[in-house]
Order: sequence, then structure tokens, then C-alpha cells
Amino acid sequence: MALPGVLIVDDDQLMRVMLRDALSDVPCTILEADSGTTALKALEAGTPAVMLLDLVMPGLSGMELLTRVAKIAPEMAVLVLSSLDTESLVQQALDSGARGYLVKPFHPLDVQNLVRAALEGKSPRENSEP
Amino acid sequence: MSAYWLADGEARVLGPIGLGVVRDLALKGKLKDVRAVSKDGVNFVPLSEVPELLQALTSAPMKEDQARAQGKATEQIRTWLADIASRETHSVFKVNKDASLGAYRAAFFALVHRYVPSRLPADATPELRLACEDAFLILSGRMVDVERERRAASLVAPQAAMVPVTSLIPPSVAPMALGARTTTPVATPNTALGALSKVRWKGGMVYVRLSLPRGEARPLMGHPEFNWKNDSLVVTSDERVMVGTPAEITLSFEGHVTQLNTQGRVVAVAPQIRGGFAVRMLDMIEEQRSMIRTWVQRALT
Repeated sequence: MALPGVLIVDDDQLMRVMLRDALSDVPCTILEADSGTTALKALEAGTPAVMLLDLVMPGLSGMELLTRVAKIAPEMAVLVLSSLDTESLVQQALDSGARGYLVKPFHPLDVQNLVRAALEGKSPRENSEP
Repeated sequence: MSAYWLADGEARVLGPIGLGVVRDLALKGKLKDVRAVSKDGVNFVPLSEVPELLQALTSAPMKEDQARAQGKATEQIRTWLADIASRETHSVFKVNKDASLGAYRAAFFALVHRYVPSRLPADATPELRLACEDAFLILSGRMVDVERERRAASLVAPQAAMVPVTSLIPPSVAPMALGARTTTPVATPNTALGALSKVRWKGGMVYVRLSLPRGEARPLMGHPEFNWKNDSLVVTSDERVMVGTPAEITLSFEGHVTQLNTQGRVVAVAPQIRGGFAVRMLDMIEEQRSMIRTWVQRALT
């Protein structure tokens, strides 16, 4: 059986590498996109189970991509990863369809846990630490 | 309600977000580099042309807003501390109970950096400062307990058992509060190597200047994981940096006029790197790799 896909959408190459490393123990196929536009093209080829999404990117922003994929791929779990951590922005992302929100810098285990929960169909939690 | 898009110096866009979100982010100091703004996500204009955004981004945060935000943060920390008081350490650190000591240490450092009191703004309220200090001490105490338990169980060698938890503790907290709780000395940087490196902070970026005397290649080859073979080097420094911090690296080689200048990122810090941090150089070209390779080979002969 094919492994579920996890699409990492972040313009920061190192962040993509770090996320890939963090997910090395999670049974999944990792895909990468360095922009919102590239991510949309990747989605044309198939819908991964999970998308890890940066909010601030050149061109199509993460928030715009979030709104679009909520319509075209509502079954995909979108987990936002951002250093912007105000309650109002987190709430907007969740209202726009994100299933989880992780604040950078994050611990690799937090990413693993969020993705595992999303793959298992559970509702991922936000960071519980203040 | 109006929506706005904000672009930074690298043309990275955040939006659409409402004015309230902009204010919240500005209040937390998260919007430092807004260069252009838009009301439709397509046509961007200078910030000065959108007065309401300019005001939201440039007005000094009102004292009462700051106090309210800090009061809320204090309350959240206190609530969290009350919550973890009855929880086992592995649950607090989000690791398996039988996780390796390295996993505990990594989780501890990832968690505790949020509460380092020296990272607080200068005008932080005494209550917030105290809450952070408490969180710091409680988490450090938990880590020390784990170290002791593991050492008692002889799962690790005594010399390697203790993590230098005090290395992150600011002088105002460390001596009395934690000095008596751990018996292992803090790892001291190798001063000989430290003399090769100059590190300074500017604008959220760390600038590293590494001057290598003839025959010296330890920063490039002294670490089994972070070395020249994967475009990395280890910087010996007392500076506290975080993983992910952008770095500007200048390498100079004695006897060579040409310097190597490149961008990079901090990829590892204490305890993984004793007495410093590791940087990965990005976008290296073959000519630069060749220069480093030659230098290392000469140092080995």
C-alpha cells in the first residue's frame, strides 16, 4: 500500500530540510514545494494527506493558499508552521481551514506528533505551552 | 472588514489579514520589516500610502496594551506550571518515558529556551520575569532529576551523564538557584579555538568571522556530524544562538588573499555542540568547496 503523502510548503530551503529530517521516522512520502504556486501545481498531480504550510512566502501567501486548498482539497489536513503566534492570527488560520498550528521555532517531536495525529485522522492540538 | 497583505524585504507576503491581526502582530514586535502593503494582494504600494497600516505598525505600543499582554502571558505560564506540577517529566517534555537521555536533553532545551529570563524585553513586568524564572528553574530541576535517575541506574557513564543546564542560565539566576542542584561543571569553550572566531549579532542575524591560521582546520573537521563534508563548521563561542538563526559567514585562510563569504544557518547548539554552535553554509559553489577541501587536506598532512 502506498504511503500517505506529506507536502511541505516553505520558501526556506533549510526549513524544508529540517522538516524532512523531523519526519524521517514517520511512515509517509514527503513532497516539497518552495512556493504557494508550486504547491498548487503539486496538488494537481494528487492530494497528499497532510500539508505543512508556512504563512509568509513570496507570491501566493500561505494564508491565500490555505483558503484555496480548503476548497479544492478539503480532505487534506493543513498544519500551519509559523513564527507569527498571535491568538488572532492563529484563530484566522484555524477558521480558514487549518487543522493545527505550530509556532516556530518548534521541536521536531512536536512536528512528528502533529503529523502522526493528522495521518491518523485525529484533530492535532496546538502548542499547549504558553 | 478591510484585508491587507504585507510584504517584507524579501518580497515574502503575509495576508490577507485584518487590521486587528496587524496590530496584534505589531504589538508583539513580529512585523519589523514591512516594505510594501496591498489591499488586494496584487497591487503593492509603500507603507506610507496606507495611513491606517502605517499607524498600526509605527505607533509605539500603548503601555496599557503592553501591560495587558504581559499579564496574559504571565497568567498562561502560571496556569501551565500548575498543570505540569502533577505530570511526569516525560509527559512535560513530550518524549516517551524510556526515551534516550539525548532525547530528554533535546526536548528540555527546546522547551526551556522560551523561559530564559534574559530573553525578556527590558520593560517586562516583574510578575512575568518571576514566572519565567520559575518555569526555567522547574524545568531545569526536572532535567537534573532525569540525569540523576539515569546515572543512578547506570545507564550512562557518569562523566557523560550531566547536561550543562546552567549554560543557559543567566548570571542573575544561576549561582544561588541552581548551583547547588548540579555537581557537573559547565562545559568550557576551547579558548584556543574561540580565539579564531568572532561572532556578533545584528538585525536578527549572527555574523561569524573565522580566521584560520596555517594548519588549523578543527572548526571544519572536528565534529563527526557538522563538518566540511556537509558544508558545515563549528564555531566556538559563548554567544547564545538558536537553531535556525540566519548566519553570514566569512572564512579567511592564512596566506590566502581570497576570503570565503557565504550565507548559512545555525543548525545545532548546546548540548549537541559543546562551547559553541554549528553552522551550515548554504548555496556553496564548487569553487568554495574545493578551497575548503584543499585547506583541510593540507592541515592533515
